[in-house]
Amino acid sequence: MSRISRRRFVEGTGAGLVAATAVPLKGQEQRPAPPTPPVPHTAIQVTVNGTRHKIEVEDRWTLVELLRDHLGLTGSKIGCDRGECGACTVLLDGKPVYSCSQLAVWADGRSVQTVEGLARDGELDPLQQAFIEHDGPQCGFCTSGQLMSAKALLNHNAHPTRDEVQHAMTGNICRCSNYNRYVESVLAAAGTLSASAGRKA
Amino acid sequence: MKSFANVNPRDLKDAVAQLQKPHAVPVGGGSDLLGMVKEHLVEPDVLVHLRALRGLDQVSSKGAEVAIGGLITLDNLSREPLIRDSYKVLAEAAESVATPQIRNAGTLAGNVCQRPWCWYYRNNFPCFKNGGNRCFSITGENQFHAIFGGGPSFIVHPSDTAPALVALDAKFRVTGPRGDRTVAAADFFALPKVNAAHENVLAPGEMLVSIHLPKAARGARSTYHKVLDREAWTHAVVSAAIVLDMEQQICRSARIVLGGVAPIPWRLPKVEAMLAGQRITPELAAKAGEAAVEGANPLAKNGYKIPLTKAVVARTLLSLA
Amino acid sequence: MNTLNSVGHPSHRIDALQRVTGRATYTGDIRLPEMLYARVLRSPHPHARIRSVDVSRAQALPGVKAILTRENCDVIWGSGDTRNQRYLFNNPVRFAGDAVAAVAAVDRHVAEEAMRMIQVDYETLPFVLDPEEALKPGAVEIQPGGNLSPNNRNERQPEVYRRGSVDDGFRAADRVFEDHYTSSHINNAQLEPRVAIAQWEGDHLTVYTPTQGISNCHTEMARDLKIAPEKVRIICHFMGGGFGNKNQNHDFELMAAMLAKQSGAPVKLEFTRKEDFVSVHGRWPTKQYYKIGVRNDGTLTAIQLRGYSGMGPHRKSSGGIGGIEIYQCPHVERSVYPVYTNMAVSANLRAPDYPQGVFGLESLMDDIAYALQMDPLDFRLKNMTRKFNDQTPYTSIGLEDCLRRGAEAFEWKKRFHAPGEGTGPIKRGAGMAMGSFFSNMGRSSAVIDVDSRGMYHVHVGVTDVGTAAKTTMALIAAEELGVPLEKIDVIWGDTDRCPYSVGESGSRTTTHTGHAVVEAAKDLKRQIAAKGMPQGNDILTATANTNPTPPANAARYSFVAHFAEVEVEKETGHVRVIKYVAAHDSGRVVNPLTATSQVKGGATMGIGMALHEELLYDRASGKPLNAGYYGARVMTHLDAPEIEVHWIETEDPYGPFGAKTLGEPTIIPSVAAVANAIYNAIGKRVRDLPMTRDRILGVLA
Repeated sequence: MSRISRRRFVEGTGAGLVAATAVPLKGQEQRPAPPTPPVPHTAIQVTVNGTRHKIEVEDRWTLVELLRDHLGLTGSKIGCDRGECGACTVLLDGKPVYSCSQLAVWADGRSVQTVEGLARDGELDPLQQAFIEHDGPQCGFCTSGQLMSAKALLNHNAHPTRDEVQHAMTGNICRCSNYNRYVESVLAAAGTLSASAGRKA
Repeated sequence: MKSFANVNPRDLKDAVAQLQKPHAVPVGGGSDLLGMVKEHLVEPDVLVHLRALRGLDQVSSKGAEVAIGGLITLDNLSREPLIRDSYKVLAEAAESVATPQIRNAGTLAGNVCQRPWCWYYRNNFPCFKNGGNRCFSITGENQFHAIFGGGPSFIVHPSDTAPALVALDAKFRVTGPRGDRTVAAADFFALPKVNAAHENVLAPGEMLVSIHLPKAARGARSTYHKVLDREAWTHAVVSAAIVLDMEQQICRSARIVLGGVAPIPWRLPKVEAMLAGQRITPELAAKAGEAAVEGANPLAKNGYKIPLTKAVVARTLLSLA
Repeated sequence: MNTLNSVGHPSHRIDALQRVTGRATYTGDIRLPEMLYARVLRSPHPHARIRSVDVSRAQALPGVKAILTRENCDVIWGSGDTRNQRYLFNNPVRFAGDAVAAVAAVDRHVAEEAMRMIQVDYETLPFVLDPEEALKPGAVEIQPGGNLSPNNRNERQPEVYRRGSVDDGFRAADRVFEDHYTSSHINNAQLEPRVAIAQWEGDHLTVYTPTQGISNCHTEMARDLKIAPEKVRIICHFMGGGFGNKNQNHDFELMAAMLAKQSGAPVKLEFTRKEDFVSVHGRWPTKQYYKIGVRNDGTLTAIQLRGYSGMGPHRKSSGGIGGIEIYQCPHVERSVYPVYTNMAVSANLRAPDYPQGVFGLESLMDDIAYALQMDPLDFRLKNMTRKFNDQTPYTSIGLEDCLRRGAEAFEWKKRFHAPGEGTGPIKRGAGMAMGSFFSNMGRSSAVIDVDSRGMYHVHVGVTDVGTAAKTTMALIAAEELGVPLEKIDVIWGDTDRCPYSVGESGSRTTTHTGHAVVEAAKDLKRQIAAKGMPQGNDILTATANTNPTPPANAARYSFVAHFAEVEVEKETGHVRVIKYVAAHDSGRVVNPLTATSQVKGGATMGIGMALHEELLYDRASGKPLNAGYYGARVMTHLDAPEIEVHWIETEDPYGPFGAKTLGEPTIIPSVAAVANAIYNAIGKRVRDLPMTRDRILGVLA
């Protein structure tokens, strides 16, 4: 057994520690809990993938936190939580944004689309199908974000050039660096990839 | 994140009142602010969510001038036909910011009022910008710091739209607890020797509400050229916002404002004077580039910005002429 | 090479559907009832003694359930340092970002607040960031015994490899060249940040964690927690990359386990991206001093390397500087000093010893070729390795084909020219480099069972870091069993259900575990032949525990050659890669679709390493300044050029169907190819990585 002392904390009362076997941590006297102000909450309504949710959120929750931890939609990923990688990209009123850099409260009355909302009636979106066929995901962690940026692009430009695809998706980092494949996939989904370039191994 | 309350103001007056609360900060798109809260650079108790205000994100033409609501997103601004047609430098500057996701959320006012991206500041070093009284870049890693106007702080102003607005002779409408005022873009930004802690003249509780552009001259041509540190998604290493008023081949007047080189958008009046009334030839453009870097004060590691600035000014001029 | 039925055909990833629908469950997606969230408090100082840690305010915060510091947790993280004792919480702390305390609370916001309430009294100590400085007398001692990390025989000596005598070699040379190079610390920067969930049920521990090897993680968790291995279960079904920093076990998994034990609830410990950059590990920075002798006809006579690798304060990995093996040369001496410093820890990142070493070596080889007025391609064809260490025959070697066919596809003769030739503001240039990577053989296990529906279930201890390892195993099984791919189901990522695999490290999954899969399949076929297919609820099961002996007197390597063309703008120092060809010999390619993606990925990562990435430190304070994706300037869509991939499939008698290592060789020559292309374009050498704009403008001035 490892030589670790056990301690248990008593919830909420700040009643200090019940030290078990070893030297207690320094400075741990009994102290009353400092008064903590309540965390501001707001009731919001947000439509996610076509479903309207009424939910009370902490004002400090980010949109991605709301989606992942409270609506069970874990398809959007947190890669950096600083708006520097794009893994958390969702469509907010149709436009791609970093959901880590949006507060949940700001989505009140608005509509969000995530990767879970791409497939319709069990049918994959052409982008998803193309990602499978052209080997878009390697580790897959950036894939949801790449899909949403690509979806936004194809929603308003059905036949983008390679350059337009790269510009539209440049806010999505892929460290596996599978960029060639993602671009190939999007062009294929848009039907603009020439047959000969399609499955070059 | 630390706990805070989000407040959706009813109108501008309400927004100003909310900003009077202790530890209240205004937020536009939120991209930059949330990151700063997460890093504990800012510790707000109240976020005044300006995007809740209606009507402050429009572009409208009022006779001679164009009014732009400060809360317009960078993406919408860059696509606005009036801006693209007559104030191209601003559209290009807005378009050059970061990535589509950030441009869909970030606002013009937010971009203009953005805090520096100096890594000492952003890593909570106790510098001038963080309530301290020194600048760590002077003897440290200063590859991306100022070659003009620096001292005692050597940050570079991080905004792309700011140099464009200065080049367009924009005026800023500011509102605050003491009412409204208009500040010329050129006067909005503060050199560190005037105010090392802040980058602009906004007083506590004041907000940038709208941006007003004078009517574009008929012969106006403008562009924004930005040098990045990879192919996308960095702040300007060096940038140039240039507005030329051309009559046939002659440049009647020029406005040249640099980004990435100084704590404020850096106007080049001497170079502007050189070009007035002249035909812009490759030789003149090269001379303009040379003149642009006169008086530059490089630090130990940012001397490369000098040849870079020369090249950027010369080729941007030529591309416009 | 003969055509097979499944292996060798481009196949979609068998889990691609989950990845594109958001249904792939990564560790961070998992929530357990009553789960707590944990954060780690870290030292802001690069070197400091901790006088005291006061957790009282943190403890008193409602919602805080457990706090660990060195005082109540002296668990040793065995894999965190192969030479010194590395605790979860060390005193002194030895790098900015070193762990001081861990807190578990009811949600992550409370955990963060509590973490910030912990007060630590530090006594700062002198620190050193540079490996050569750390070896000077008077440098602060970072680990007991000195800053030169002991070699494999526990001596305070550099790691040395020698053959012949370089002094003889230099004497035999017509010309001797010397130069030196540096490379930076860069981070693995995989998209999935660190996270672990630990749950105790009685004395049984389950850990959900992104790991490249569940088996090793499992053994090491049991070892470090001093509990029986059968009391530990490691689960990883999907993980978001690692490139070498998610092997074995990690301190954060142990911290999660200890917090869970103390609080009596499951604990999810999450890292921020900055923590992932600074408090895990990255590629070791190096300083490399080369001296090379050649005859006038271009024959190499001697290669000498003296290298210094900055390991951070802990020795997790080799610190090697590789690349010389790719050359034939009678006299070689390589001495590498792995040195402790007070920077972030250095350890494995995709081909750990190689891209930085190949950058230095191939830069100088190129300079030598130019000095002798030889085409760098011809110089390499002349001097490339024919036998490993000039002694041991390779089981298969397609290096020459990689060079020739790659050069042809790249149109080398057309694009290459005298360095710096041509006028105009934009200079184009072409460069190339070559490399090799050990293709190991070793221990692994696999279990395959078949049911009455004719579905085969392949149990392997693989997690698939992004390499499509699951798919590779399925293809190998399908091939050996002689059934279509659709009949294969792979069971992975759970030590309760999967046997031993070394995991994805050293590019060994295909060779080690694939081999076990082949053997298990053979056994299963024998059983089916003997007993017929199972009926009803019956299953037939075959197990293979393989540990093939590497061939005696044969070396097994993969070979690569990369070719890059760049445009350099003289006035701005801007570099753009405009053409890139990669030629690879990895024996038989099991899945050309995903293998090609691997090459594209590795080459692109290498371009980023060449042009952009460095974890930059403030020298005065010893603190990192640019941790994170923005600061590191990680390659984006707009940065990534089209990478053209050519497979040179050699016949190798070993490995599953002759497959050799694949994932790591992809990055080995890329940095050097870009560096040599830049030189060819502008006629000036940048000897320090990354080759950023300011450095390019510096040499052009």
